[in-house]
Amino acid sequence: MSVILEVVCPRLLGPAAMVAAAIIVKGYSDVGDGFSAGVVVALAVALRYVTLGAERAERSLPVLRHAPVLAVAGLLLVLAIGFFPVAFGEPPLTHFPRAGEPVVEIGALELTTAVALDVGIFLLVAGALVETIHQIARLVEERRA
Amino acid sequence: MTALSLSLVVPWAAGLVLALLDGRRRLVGWVAVCVLGANLGALVVLAAAVLPDDPVVVTTGNWPAGVGITLRADALGVLFALLSSLALLSATVFEVLEGVRERTFPGLVVLLAAGLTGVFVTGDLFNFYVFFELAMTAGYVLATYGGGRRELGAALVFTTVNLLGTFIFLLSVAGVYHVTGTLEMSGIAARMDEVDANAAVLLAAGFFVAFSVKLGLFPFHFWLPTVYTGARPAVAAILSGGLANIGAYGLLRFGGELLPGELDLAAGALIVIGSASILYGGVLAVSRRTASEMLAYSAIGQVGYVLVAIGVGGPVGFAAAILYTVVNALNKTLLFLTAQMRGALAGATFALGALSVAGVPPAAGFVGKLELFRATAGSPALVALFVLGSALSFVYAFQTYQYDFWRGERRGRRSSAPSRASSPRSRSSSSRWACGRSRCSR
Amino acid sequence: MSLLFALAAAVLFGTGAYLLLDRDLVRVVFGVVLVSQAAVLTLVASGLTRGAAPIYPLSRGPVSDPLSQAMALTAIVIGLAVTALLLVLVLRVVQAYRSEELAEVAVREAEREARLERLHEREHAEEEAAAR
Repeated sequence: MSVILEVVCPRLLGPAAMVAAAIIVKGYSDVGDGFSAGVVVALAVALRYVTLGAERAERSLPVLRHAPVLAVAGLLLVLAIGFFPVAFGEPPLTHFPRAGEPVVEIGALELTTAVALDVGIFLLVAGALVETIHQIARLVEERRA
Repeated sequence: MTALSLSLVVPWAAGLVLALLDGRRRLVGWVAVCVLGANLGALVVLAAAVLPDDPVVVTTGNWPAGVGITLRADALGVLFALLSSLALLSATVFEVLEGVRERTFPGLVVLLAAGLTGVFVTGDLFNFYVFFELAMTAGYVLATYGGGRRELGAALVFTTVNLLGTFIFLLSVAGVYHVTGTLEMSGIAARMDEVDANAAVLLAAGFFVAFSVKLGLFPFHFWLPTVYTGARPAVAAILSGGLANIGAYGLLRFGGELLPGELDLAAGALIVIGSASILYGGVLAVSRRTASEMLAYSAIGQVGYVLVAIGVGGPVGFAAAILYTVVNALNKTLLFLTAQMRGALAGATFALGALSVAGVPPAAGFVGKLELFRATAGSPALVALFVLGSALSFVYAFQTYQYDFWRGERRGRRSSAPSRASSPRSRSSSSRWACGRSRCSR
Repeated sequence: MSLLFALAAAVLFGTGAYLLLDRDLVRVVFGVVLVSQAAVLTLVASGLTRGAAPIYPLSRGPVSDPLSQAMALTAIVIGLAVTALLLVLVLRVVQAYRSEELAEVAVREAEREARLERLHEREHAEEEAAAR
């Protein structure tokens, strides 16, 4: 049981990231958004923390130590996307290109400012949750020490 | 629209960046002060646009009205936003001069400013809750500032009680959406007349409990003394001068604008609760010896006046309530900040605040009290209550002033934990603030 | 259906309120979580309509009310953040006091006050003696 956990859980991060990307992309025609994508990635990270322990998890994936920076960058991106229309005299959260105007397409994905907003939310949620996990793990380990 | 957006986005974005930096560095503290100053500036520009003309209303995302979330800045909201911003700015300047002790402090205060501005300029009920929670969460963390046992214990009480209040508010929001089918404040006000009277009373009671918990009114006050005496002076000033304004604003906005019928119905009860608050706060404040305990109970008493004024109602009553809230928030900020300092300048400032609390003519509090007396001129009982309450506040304010500033030494219980815990710092800083240290007689 | 939601929310709120009165701090946190879930359920129930998911190429027939779902989602997220904050706060309080019982917290606080009081009285007596 524990061997399976130790082998499988750390390898789940890749597939989880894949699922997260799919959730963001399909959010524009089906159920899905940046928030749930962020939760999926954070769950995979939480599994790593549980199986490897905080120390090993963070040594094997140093980006986890910079989770607050990711979260703040995500929220700044969200704020920038939300409030930049004010500079053009439009109300906040107006999205470009507007309904009916031509859109840049990559395959089936339509690039609007809403996609960037969702990526920001994804970063924010994943970063904030990972940081929460990190803090709780640190407090628990301090207590144990 | 630009000023409205700037007053939201500037503290929000800057607060996030500040949260990453080490707030104990002096430069970071001053950047936070600059951001709060910029927020205040944007609010002044917004006020200049709102006060002479109509409210500024923005529907986000270019959605048709009724679909998009509305931001709405009117005179009441902008006034409260300005007031809170001013209180946060002065508390932050104070703390930066004293020396910030924790890295998160400047970022949290700036985020708190963003949340408060949002609460006061939103026109949407659920958005109100979201900004409210943003401000409160920053407040919960700020209450731990200092990190000692006392602060942590106080923060835990503060967080638990206020979260309960918040969820009661959320239950009422759900109820309002269920019975009116809208979350836009103007829409709710229009549709509330057709709502079943029993449901409306239940919702109004929920809102009242939620905001009373924030304000610390008499039956809901039990958390307040622990928190205000446990927290450090700058944090106590932020909580009482900034965050508590949400309670008064909520009572005015929800009672006066969204549920006026229910407010009329409950007028008697509000006056009784307010009077109980005035007497309870006043009597207990007189019996206290430390400045911070006195101020905590005084806070309970002072919001009683606001509630009585709201209960009296009508344009005069609401005007008195608003004016009194403004004066009270400024008093509390000033007193909490100066209570821990020593020396002639701090003493004079404290005396000014004490005069204001008591409502003696040269100070601002006199105007507030005068307006209250005008509002309640018809009722001898209320006038008598106000005279009694003012007399009590005069006694407790000057008792503390006498103990702390006139006599050099302090006796008995007064030097227990809060002042003792912070004394090395405040003593060292008082030499910077004041001409002479009264404790040097030791 | 509304009745079911109302009952569930009432049970959650009641259980939460009961846990809030407990002396064990972790139970207090669970109490707050349950009360928050009661609020979320009420939000879901506030716009209860039967219909298809309201995503753009609308299917025929009635569409369910998306607003209460959005509110519930937001409330869950805020509840999550607040729960994390509360748990960390409890952990720090426990670390500071090395005990989870509120009563013990109060006892220690009283002891500390009494100690300070004694200390101060001694100082005061010394001062007076010195002055004499």
